[in-house]
Amino acid sequence: MTEKSVEAKGICKSYKSFFGTAARVLENISLDIETGEIFGLLGPNGSGKTTLISIFSTLIYPERGSLFILGMDARRDKGEIRKAVNISTAKPNFPWSLTVKENLRHYGMLYGLYGSALSRTVEDQIDAFELGEFRDMKFENLSTGLKQRLSLAKAMLNSPRLLFLDEPTTGLDPDMSIRTRMLIKRIHQEQNISVVLSTHDMPEAEMLCDRIAFLRKGQIVAMDTPRNLKKHLGLGERVVVSYEGLADIAALESLPGILGIKAKMGRVEIVMDRSADSLDRIIKLFCDARILDIVIKEPDLEDVFLELAR
Amino acid sequence: MSWQGELNKYLASAYKNWIISRRNIFTVFELFFWPMISLLSIGLLTRFLKVEGSMVSFLLVGAIALTILQVAQIDVAYVLLFDMWSKSIKNTFIAPVHSYHLIFGASLFGILRGSVVFFILAIVSRYLFGFNFQEGGLLPVLIFLAGVFAMAVVIGITVCISILTFGQKADVAAWSLSGLILLVSGIYYPVEVLPPVLQVLARALPLTYFLEYYRSIFIPGPHHLAMGAFLAAFYLGLGLILLDHAIERARKTGILLRLSE
Repeated sequence: MTEKSVEAKGICKSYKSFFGTAARVLENISLDIETGEIFGLLGPNGSGKTTLISIFSTLIYPERGSLFILGMDARRDKGEIRKAVNISTAKPNFPWSLTVKENLRHYGMLYGLYGSALSRTVEDQIDAFELGEFRDMKFENLSTGLKQRLSLAKAMLNSPRLLFLDEPTTGLDPDMSIRTRMLIKRIHQEQNISVVLSTHDMPEAEMLCDRIAFLRKGQIVAMDTPRNLKKHLGLGERVVVSYEGLADIAALESLPGILGIKAKMGRVEIVMDRSADSLDRIIKLFCDARILDIVIKEPDLEDVFLELAR
Repeated sequence: MSWQGELNKYLASAYKNWIISRRNIFTVFELFFWPMISLLSIGLLTRFLKVEGSMVSFLLVGAIALTILQVAQIDVAYVLLFDMWSKSIKNTFIAPVHSYHLIFGASLFGILRGSVVFFILAIVSRYLFGFNFQEGGLLPVLIFLAGVFAMAVVIGITVCISILTFGQKADVAAWSLSGLILLVSGIYYPVEVLPPVLQVLARALPLTYFLEYYRSIFIPGPHHLAMGAFLAAFYLGLGLILLDHAIERARKTGILLRLSE
C-alpha cells in the first residue's frame, strides 16, 4: 500500500476562549491526499482553510477525528511529522529586525541544521528564491513579494516531504503572483514533494492543483479534479450563438450532452458538456439561419466557486 | 539527529535575541541607563540618609539583584514576545522544537546580558560607594548570581505561560512580575518586616534565600541556601512542565494561530 501524504477522518475543530465558549470552525472533514499530489483547499474567507492547514501541519490540534500525516499518527508522532513538513503562511511574518539571511539561519537552527550544512542550505535557498540581492535587508524593509519569497525559502529549509502553502500569492501583484506560481510548480516538480495549497484565487488553483476540496462554513462541499468539478456541477462549456432567421431551438434540447438552454430573440445560450462533442450538431441546427456571432466560453473555477459558495 | 544539530536548536533563540538586541537602541537603556539609574538612586539615598557601611551593602545588593533579575527575565520572556510582536509565532511552533530548547537559548543570552550588567554595576558601586562585591571571594558571587538567574528564568517562563494561556494582553506580566518579586523577596529590607502572609510568600521564593546568603557575607547572619537551591530547581522543573502543558493547551485551543494573526 502506498503511503498517503494526508489521511484525515472526521476532523472537527472549535476555537474555545479561556472561559470555554466555543466557535465551531471545522465540521467532520475527511479527505486523503496522495503522495506527490498538489492538493488545493478552496473556499471563501472564514471557511476554515487556514485552520485545516494548521491542523495538518500539527501547529494546532483537532478536537475530534483521526489524522495521519505521511503515514504517521498526528497525535503520537507529531515530533517526527514536524521534521518532515513545513509551511509558508498567508501574510508571511518573521522577526522584523533580522535580515533575510539571519531569518533563514535562525529557522535553519530550529530545524537542527548546523555548521557548513546550515550555511549551504541557507545559501541554496537564497539562490533558489532569487533573494541574493536582498540577503542583508531586514525583514521589515522587504516588499510583500520578497516577504513571500522568504517565507517559501524558509519552508524549504528542512527539505520537507509535505509542504503547506497558505494563500501563497495573497497581496502580490499579478506579475509576482504568476512568478510565485511558477516557483511552486518548479519546487513540486524538482523535489517531488506533496503540496497542500489554500487559496481563493481560482486561476491559481486551476493552474497548480491536481485535486481540489471546496470548503464552506467548515465543511467540504465538493472534492475532485478541477475538470471533474466543473463537469459534475453541470458547469459545461457555454456556447452563445447570435443569429438571424430560423433555428430549430427545440431540437437542441434533444442533443446529447446539452445541460441547459436559454433562448431569446436572435440569441441562444447553450451549456454543454464538452465531452459530448455536440458542437457540430448544434451548428447544423442553424443551417437555415445566418449566424452573426458564436462565442464558446470554457467554464472556470470561478464559476464553480460561485456555484458552491451560494 | 546529531548532538550538534540538537545544540543548534538550543542556541537558535540566543542567536535571534542577540541579533534583535544589538540592533535595538533600547538595549542600551536596558543594559546601562536603567541599571545605572537604579544603582545611583539607591547609592545616593544611602549617603543622604547617612546609612552605615554594612547597610549600604545590604541595599546595594538589593539594587543590583533587582536590576540583573529584570534584565535576565525579560530576555527569557523575549523568546515569545519577539515572536508575538512580529506575529511569527507560528513559524517557531511548527518547527520540531520543545519548550526547553527555546528557554535554554533565551536564558543563555539573558544570563550573558545579566552578567554584563552585574559586572558594570559591581565596578561602579565599588568606586562610588565602596561596595566590595568580592568580599567573600568569587564563589559566593557565583552562587548569588546563579540564584538570581534561576529566579529570572522562572519569571520568564511564567510570562511565556501567561501569554500562551491568556493571549497577547498578558505581555504586561513581563514587566509587572519582577515588581511583585521586588515587594515580596526582601530586595531592600529583611522579609521579617513584611506582613505574615507576605512572609509566607517570601519564604516560597528562592530569591529570598539567595539574597540572605549573599548579604550574610556583609552582615553575618543565618541563611538557608540549600532551601533556596531546592526551590530554584523545583520551580525550574515545574516551570518547564507547565510551559509544555501551556504550549499543548495553546495548540488545542488554537491560541497559537491567533497569536500569529
